[in-house]
Amino acid sequence: MIGNEFIAKIEGHGQLKINWKKGEVKLHVFEGERLFEGMLVGRTADEMAWITPRICGVCPTAHNLASLRAIENALGIEPSQTTILLRELMDCGQMIQSHALHLFFLSLPDYLGIDRGTELAQKNPKTFKDALSLKEVSDLIVKTIGGRAVHPMKSVIGGFNKVPTKIQLKRVLAKLEKTEKAAENTIELCAGIEWPKLKVNLKLVVQKEDKIIAVSSVNIKGRKSSSIENYKRDVEEEIRDYSTAKFGKYKGEEMLVGSLARLAVAGNYNKKYKLDFANPFYNNFAQALEILYYHQKAQDIIRELLKKRMGSKLVRPAKNSPLRGVGVVEAPRGGLYHEVYLNKEQVVIEANIITPTVQNLTSIEKSAQALLKQSKNRSQEELERLLTMLVRAYDPCITCSVH
Amino acid sequence: MPKPRVAIFEFTDCEGCEVEIVSLRDKFLLLEKRLDIVNWRLGQENNQPGPYDITIIEGTPITQHEIDMLKKLREESGVLIGLGACACMGGIPGIMDKDQRKKWYKKIYGESYKPKGIDALPLSAYVQIDFLIHGCPVNKNEVVRIVEDLLAGKTPKYRGWSVCFDCKQANNECRLVNKKPCLGPIIQGGCEAVCVSGGASCYGCFGLCQEPNIKALLKILNQISDKEEIDRLFSMFLKKTEEYKKIIKNDWQ
Repeated sequence: MIGNEFIAKIEGHGQLKINWKKGEVKLHVFEGERLFEGMLVGRTADEMAWITPRICGVCPTAHNLASLRAIENALGIEPSQTTILLRELMDCGQMIQSHALHLFFLSLPDYLGIDRGTELAQKNPKTFKDALSLKEVSDLIVKTIGGRAVHPMKSVIGGFNKVPTKIQLKRVLAKLEKTEKAAENTIELCAGIEWPKLKVNLKLVVQKEDKIIAVSSVNIKGRKSSSIENYKRDVEEEIRDYSTAKFGKYKGEEMLVGSLARLAVAGNYNKKYKLDFANPFYNNFAQALEILYYHQKAQDIIRELLKKRMGSKLVRPAKNSPLRGVGVVEAPRGGLYHEVYLNKEQVVIEANIITPTVQNLTSIEKSAQALLKQSKNRSQEELERLLTMLVRAYDPCITCSVH
Repeated sequence: MPKPRVAIFEFTDCEGCEVEIVSLRDKFLLLEKRLDIVNWRLGQENNQPGPYDITIIEGTPITQHEIDMLKKLREESGVLIGLGACACMGGIPGIMDKDQRKKWYKKIYGESYKPKGIDALPLSAYVQIDFLIHGCPVNKNEVVRIVEDLLAGKTPKYRGWSVCFDCKQANNECRLVNKKPCLGPIIQGGCEAVCVSGGASCYGCFGLCQEPNIKALLKILNQISDKEEIDRLFSMFLKKTEEYKKIIKNDWQ
């Protein structure tokens, strides 16, 4: 039947293939090959930052920012302090946009006894109001800074075509102050959910400044750190015949990236809430905690910006720039890598992109297998349901993974 | 009267147009009350088979599976609507031609990889489409207007003006007058000129307007730009249109 062959409520088209006898689970990816890395060749650096957001309608801003960072590194451009702040603010908006969409429309319905997210309007109007206000404020942030809630166009090489006025920023700040309560409510909602049990040993991987940091999900204390410049040595991609997305690993091990990994490494959340880093279902909870974190961070940034003079003068490329650059950002779903080689006319001659979901795919399969092993006395139907919920907890963006 | 049975599908794409629809928030809720969304993979698990009164399709049918599904959906749908630049024109994936795709499959996925994709073409390359909601992403207010027209039993109409009109309303300076490339004069309005307002060029994601004077625009563009840049401008969204192939290619030769 049309419509039920792919996993519902995830971005893009994937299917779980379960071998019950062997206890094996595979995630088949059906998206058509999109070939963005090929599309970029022959396009200008400016156009790269315009095209890559189209990889994903849920996290377009993250792609825009990663491309800009790669290009600016290639051209020896150091953006101004206000540009950096405005970009961080866009990123806060992007995080809240994506997390709120995922929690309220894709993953939490499993736990709240509804199917379509909008059913909350009837069933739990207060929570639904929170969902809408989080969506509204995050769309407003990205629109105010980037020019549009999906696919920004103001944010360009060297800075911004146009910067927001202080009146606009104050309006965003006033709204954020009001919606902070909705962020807190979302955490409370998640704190009350009993997440399915699961324990998996994975590498939790995040980026911090120019480093890739990895910790073990079962012991987050010891950490490995390596340089982002050599990201290809740490994050390897495999091609599998059942998928149009590649499967990523960290130094040969299954890795988990995104909210849960970020909170494990940074520890910047209220510790009265207990997170289980070896249980990927807790990624949902981590997203809720991050909604509040980015809410507060956005307010801090705006308060700082209000003290500064903002201009839209773009920083020009340096002479003798390396023409090769790596740009990395923590996208909502985890580390996003863009690498670019330019010629002297600033035309792309080679590009490489590794998305967060590529890095999560191998660990989705590992966690799914662990879930089968660890869940006793359940029917196949119940197990299928649990597996689907597990896939959703990762917030996979199959669309991004096939870029 | 029963509510119309509506299905929303997406083929290979970024799903940004569906995100725009969710961004309607309260307005989406109001629309939703007037229809019965019986199939929407991205939004719900309980999905029913056709027939559907209205089917909305986002994305480009790249794989054979998607092409077959599109043909089946055409048979099962009263009104078939394309959502966004990918569905309406091939969109960003349409930048790459079929021949180039072969080279890139090998380069990106390796020599032994068996590609699943065929080509990035608009929906109309395979079946008849009743209406196109243009944009990359779509303008959410346009989505409301068009769906409301459909619900009222009207045949929706395309905007009878170009992006220039939207630009005047947005109080933008004209890019062409300022010697900056722009496709605004030949592109259908309704986008609120959001890109030009944001300091970017119009790349034409809303598709060509009625009777576009492409030759006149090329004359101006040739004065302020060069062939490569003009080609990049036209090939961002319009590469799979007949006009791109016929008029533009011939004009430059």
